[in-house]
Amino acid sequence: MRNKTLLTLALSAVMISQAQAEVSDAVIESSFYPYKNGVPSFPGLSAGMTINQGNVDQFKDALDPAMYSFIKNGDTELKVGETTDFVLDESYIEATRKYSSGVTLGAGHGEISETVAGRPFPEEPKLDDPRAGEKLAWNFKYGYNWGDSASIYPFYWKYRDMNTGKVERTIKFNFHFLNFTHRTQHDPVPAIDPNPSEFFRGTYAEVLEPYDLKNTQLLIHRFEDDTKLDNVYLYLGFQRRVRRLSSGQTTDAFLGSDLMIEDFEGYNGRISDMNWTYKGTQNILMPMYNHNDLTNFDTEVHQNDPDGFQMVAYGGKGGCFQDITWQLRKVYVLESDPVDENHPISKRVHFIDAQTYTIPRTISYDRKGDLWRSFTIGQAHPDYHLPINKGSGVSIDDSVTMIDVQANHCTTAQFKGIVDPNLSPVDTFTVQNMRARGK
Amino acid sequence: MSKKITTTYTRMALAISAAVVGGQMATTATAAETTWAGFVENATYYRDDVGLSKFRNTAQAEFEKKLESETFRSLSINGVLRGTYDGVYDLNDKDFGKDAQESHLGANWHDADLSNMVLAPGTPFPCENDPALCNNLDGYMDQHESDAAFPEFNDQLDFVRELYVRGDLPLDNGDVFSFSLGKQQIIWGKTDLFRVLDVLNPVDYSRHNIYDELEDIRIPQWMLNATWRMGATETFDDINLSFVWNFDKFRPSNLGTCGQSYSILDAGCFFSSRINGGGPYVINDVEEPSWSLANTQFGVKWEGVYGDATFSLNALHFRQQLPSLHALPGPGDNFGLFNIEFPRVNLVGGAIDYYSMDMDAVWRLELAYTQGEELARDLNGHKETDMLRYVIGFDKNLVMPSLGTQSAFLISAQLFGEHILDHVEDMPNEEDNWIATLLFKGWYMNNRLSPQIIMAHDFGGKATAVAPSISWTPDNHWMFNLGLNVKFGGDETFGWSPVGGEKVYEPLARFTNGPIGVANQEDEIQLTVRYSF
Repeated sequence: MRNKTLLTLALSAVMISQAQAEVSDAVIESSFYPYKNGVPSFPGLSAGMTINQGNVDQFKDALDPAMYSFIKNGDTELKVGETTDFVLDESYIEATRKYSSGVTLGAGHGEISETVAGRPFPEEPKLDDPRAGEKLAWNFKYGYNWGDSASIYPFYWKYRDMNTGKVERTIKFNFHFLNFTHRTQHDPVPAIDPNPSEFFRGTYAEVLEPYDLKNTQLLIHRFEDDTKLDNVYLYLGFQRRVRRLSSGQTTDAFLGSDLMIEDFEGYNGRISDMNWTYKGTQNILMPMYNHNDLTNFDTEVHQNDPDGFQMVAYGGKGGCFQDITWQLRKVYVLESDPVDENHPISKRVHFIDAQTYTIPRTISYDRKGDLWRSFTIGQAHPDYHLPINKGSGVSIDDSVTMIDVQANHCTTAQFKGIVDPNLSPVDTFTVQNMRARGK
Repeated sequence: MSKKITTTYTRMALAISAAVVGGQMATTATAAETTWAGFVENATYYRDDVGLSKFRNTAQAEFEKKLESETFRSLSINGVLRGTYDGVYDLNDKDFGKDAQESHLGANWHDADLSNMVLAPGTPFPCENDPALCNNLDGYMDQHESDAAFPEFNDQLDFVRELYVRGDLPLDNGDVFSFSLGKQQIIWGKTDLFRVLDVLNPVDYSRHNIYDELEDIRIPQWMLNATWRMGATETFDDINLSFVWNFDKFRPSNLGTCGQSYSILDAGCFFSSRINGGGPYVINDVEEPSWSLANTQFGVKWEGVYGDATFSLNALHFRQQLPSLHALPGPGDNFGLFNIEFPRVNLVGGAIDYYSMDMDAVWRLELAYTQGEELARDLNGHKETDMLRYVIGFDKNLVMPSLGTQSAFLISAQLFGEHILDHVEDMPNEEDNWIATLLFKGWYMNNRLSPQIIMAHDFGGKATAVAPSISWTPDNHWMFNLGLNVKFGGDETFGWSPVGGEKVYEPLARFTNGPIGVANQEDEIQLTVRYSF
């Protein structure tokens, strides 16, 4: 009760103080409409062309280093699409305008002043700002991401041997996300009340297949307080009860996949766990596309969809690469290196899409500094996806591949992302829901 | 089980099934999708110095039929069907089955001693060999060999392992009313391997002693589980109130009939024993409570989440699922010395787990206080006593790259304690006893290869079980599990008045040695192959 009161007072104070100062139109336009005055270009690059082993050197500077290597090795080819506008929902932009003018970093690493909603640091990052990287990380954390709530319904993960192409495991999930705070679009805004432990976000997942994992459920509560570790609950079908998990092991290979829990969505950890360095802004090719304009789909993994939806197809070496189009976009390059020297990764390089603040590309390096893994999150425009997503302003996570270049192994994921608050009511994100839905 | 009771029970089950299905019709529900899953499995176990101890073949199918309803947010019919054939009774009929004679009572546990001069060896499958004893054990350990070979195909229709309807009804104030009604398992508590609060369903220990997953050995009951889900409040992150009504006919836990390959505490052979030289049987009669409204069992649970802690408070009125021996003044009408009863028990308890961020670990505490339980003793067969049981658990997930994998290992330790409040000297159970367990489990090859080791030590029984195993899942369908199960101990004796108070094995030391110690000659290598769909 006391915590809740303090939170309410703090939010009120922020809202009052910020009501008098709004983020300027120029900053809003620069941050959310980077292509208003035209899209970027690269010599010789045009929509419709394919970058392959034969011409990749010409476009080396339009690619991140890992993608360049893959194409150079002949592991995959890259189809180029037109640069398109991924405008986020107006409510998020207006929340930024309204609430973000007074947001500052705290004195300590991983601290921020009170925020309500919107992009906390909409100004262009500066190389001479020693904490610019930290601000980008906060912008990602409080990004529009899946909006206030969404579902991946269903969600197929495949574990693949990159040498042979053999699919070792296929896991079918449903995922649900809900923002308890920093809400802008769907009532209640800006926060769900009551929320006594001050959750920021809930993630709920259940496994539908295969049999040995069926009925496994995972619930993650992330707190407003970034220094606090998540509360994680696991329901195991063969035990029929909820187990608490220790959540500090974010480098755990999730369910045996090539993804650490910390890798989800580009970065899924505490801001305070990493040192963040802004490395500059580039125009490079990013895996962003119109799902409905794709020409090749996987017709086997997901059939008889009630909406006629089809999953993204995979190809290339070992079936580890999405068959999608890539477009040239404004990207912030952000490095993160773990505070913990025992962390298995020495650094990640995140390629953040400047308009959406999603992280479609991340490359990670092992402790020796060698390239270890390459992570691609294909982003689909909501207006060219499921009809229900049209106008949602959510850049839809639509296809994923995490390639372990040292083990020659990959995990791919195919999404049916749905932005529909009715699929993710707040009681979905309770421990009791796991018992009720469990076998 | 008597014919009359069986018939009543079966009719009741069918009536409830019909009501369950009919109830859906009343809510204008219509069938949507139905999903099926399941497996076929062979479990072959080989016992040291004995031979084949299990050749169990199982087929299990599970379904969920979702229904569309204008009233309920979600509504479904769920079922689990299971059929088992254990070929050990055909393939190793020398050691197991109706002809499996033993040299002395407890021969698969201890050498003969003075107590064996009094008690005769147990009669394997009494209903195959001794009609009078079969009559004495009617309704409890009256299995035929074929019942053990095909355990689900019985009067209780156990091949329908579960069949229930469940749904969520949103309330106007934002709360949710959830229910499940039918034959099912309902699980309370947070403990692995041992049961403190998880006592709503009895357990079939004849399948594989205490070592199978409880999921597979709980005996489903016809129950109603109604939960009022209040969600977050100003204080709690989640709060719920549940009511459980077990309206099934009471069923005790299955300890295994004499002649089965797993008979926990060797109770089955003790119950089918008699005084040497054609003397009275140990068991005169089994007084299983008949079905009546007054004999149904019910409980309530208040459960929630507060900060970093999840908790529950539980209360239950039920019956003791293990038998209590009531001594008769002399041989009874059936020429036996004891009647088996299942007394009423009241339980209050609770559970809490707490995530410690500093340790990045979870602590679990589970506690149950009961009134009405009856424990074995030398004089008079039993004594009623209040009991306190508790478990302290510690769970940690730890990534250990030095062990060659990026998947986190699970380290789980538990200390299970039992305190007998009204302890007396002639009780074979110690006033305070503890069992410690440790699970260490890891994953390799994208979690397709998983070694683990489980260890359990009974301090009072001075008995230890060690069970290493490795599981390989090459793809989405096949699973191979190879394991060892080795026990140590089982050497404790206890004074028995019929032999002048001498410390002997039979019959009381079985309680001192516990389920680990009494199975001390059941060291096994175990291979399980499963194909799931």
